[in-house]
Amino acid sequence: MTPAIETIGLQKRYGTHPAIHDLNISVAPGTVFGLIGPNGAGKTTTLRMLLDIIRPSGGVARVLGADPRAGGPTLRRRIGYVPGELRLEGRIRGRNLLRHYAEISGPVAPGVIENLADRLGLDLNRNVRTLSKGNKQKLGLIQAFMHRPELLVLDEPTSGLDPLVQREFLELVREARAGGQTVLLSSHVLSEIQQTADHVAVLSTGRVVAEGAVASLRLGKIRRIRASLDGADPGGIEAELATVPGVREVTVIGDEATRTTRLTATLDGEIDPLVQLFARHRVGDLVIEEPDLEESVLQLYGGSTGSASGEEVRRG
Amino acid sequence: MVRVLPVFRRSLGDSWRSLIGWSLGVAAALLMYLPLFPSLGGDGEMQQMLETLPPELVKTLGYEQIASGPGYTQGTFYGLIGFLLLVIAATSWGSSSIAGAEESGRLELTLAHAVGRSQYALESALSVLVRLAWLGLLAAGIVLALNEPSELGIEPPQVFAVTAALVGLAFVSGAVALLVGAATGRRILATAAGAGIAVVGYVFNAIANQVEDAEWLRSLSPYSWAYRELPLVEGADWAGLGLLWGLAAVSVVAGTLILRERDLTG
Repeated sequence: MTPAIETIGLQKRYGTHPAIHDLNISVAPGTVFGLIGPNGAGKTTTLRMLLDIIRPSGGVARVLGADPRAGGPTLRRRIGYVPGELRLEGRIRGRNLLRHYAEISGPVAPGVIENLADRLGLDLNRNVRTLSKGNKQKLGLIQAFMHRPELLVLDEPTSGLDPLVQREFLELVREARAGGQTVLLSSHVLSEIQQTADHVAVLSTGRVVAEGAVASLRLGKIRRIRASLDGADPGGIEAELATVPGVREVTVIGDEATRTTRLTATLDGEIDPLVQLFARHRVGDLVIEEPDLEESVLQLYGGSTGSASGEEVRRG
Repeated sequence: MVRVLPVFRRSLGDSWRSLIGWSLGVAAALLMYLPLFPSLGGDGEMQQMLETLPPELVKTLGYEQIASGPGYTQGTFYGLIGFLLLVIAATSWGSSSIAGAEESGRLELTLAHAVGRSQYALESALSVLVRLAWLGLLAAGIVLALNEPSELGIEPPQVFAVTAALVGLAFVSGAVALLVGAATGRRILATAAGAGIAVVGYVFNAIANQVEDAEWLRSLSPYSWAYRELPLVEGADWAGLGLLWGLAAVSVVAGTLILRERDLTG
């Protein structure tokens, strides 16, 4: 089956500064493909090349079987795009802005816009420039989804959205996939990728440093731990932590005045041994969170690890 | 649901408020100046006043003909206030249509939809042209309406000749602003270019008015192309109009071709 998106040796240089080196990705039709990586990794540059906003310096990109530039407006009608930095201005109502884009990239089935606005909780009668960042982002999502394009290219689509709307967005992505649409989703929110994507590529400094099925990437296991234990001995805690597999980057600070011990650590492994350890003390506070993708990705793949496809990754 | 000229229609839809503002400015200028003519020019008072002014100033402003109705209309509106208003409007519209849209991030979103870059540039240029034509025709209508009451003595067809010259002159600024915006994506550069070509043209014309040896500067001045043959008196100067509209058309085409080739900046 022809991939919905395929890049072969795709490159982009700005002057002499290479933004994308030799990028090879392939997105199967009807799947959700996550592109993750820290800021500046080249996610936005890559997506813009797929939309013919900018042109590659080398290599080949194929989107729905066509070269992005040669495909022109006909190709872009089949794509829905949310830009990474969505800025909407002007004295135009949301409804009229959407009508404008529907005229260009339509047809849009009757009722679709209202339904999407309803689900995301957006008032279409407001002037675009008076909308908050989150509400502008909703408008951005509607203009991408409304004409049911074969391919959705979404660059940090949930930025500025509150958690409830983020959940609705994830639902939209699942429905899109169920309806046979292909989704390319860039994000630095790990959970978003985990909950929706089938396949994921990790981008760092313009290269794919890891790629594979979402489950295989192990990204989900990293946790950041922050705890405060009452009446414990900092030296003892540190020694105890050293025995737990996967615990790294430990800092322990004892506070004589309040007789508490505060600690932070990163865990890459089973959570249970650590919880057992804490259970032996009086826990004043405990936070276990997913780290920023930036941290975990850099930690996991920032070194000279081999990518999932077995290629040797060289650091530039 | 797919309809024609979406970029053009949105551009008009976004700017009708500003267009009303410009229309009021044009109307106010004409309604202030033209009714004064019978009291100024009719009894030779104007001529006397001109004689008290330094001849260099009179020549710079192009006021030699100001004692006649067409000369007065040319000197006050078409050569000065109307020129200024339309050039500023054209430059602002020309620079915002590509460079402004690009800086605001709107262009990226629009071009990610099913709009070609040539289509975008050409529809934007058309939108600037249509708005300028509206201002030109509005002015023409007011001049024609005031022609008799203000004793201007203008032959009606010549009003359309001077309108073609004024709109063409302003469209040169708009098209150059569009071209530089298409090439750089920077609104401030586009504005500087559109205003710059108008100022340089005006200055070249003014120098040529005073220095006989500098007559050749007129061949480089869009302002001279528009007005050197006094269209309100002599009618359409086809060579001058050809240069004006030719330069504007070349700028639009060049802008379109450049926009097709380059990366958009955000």
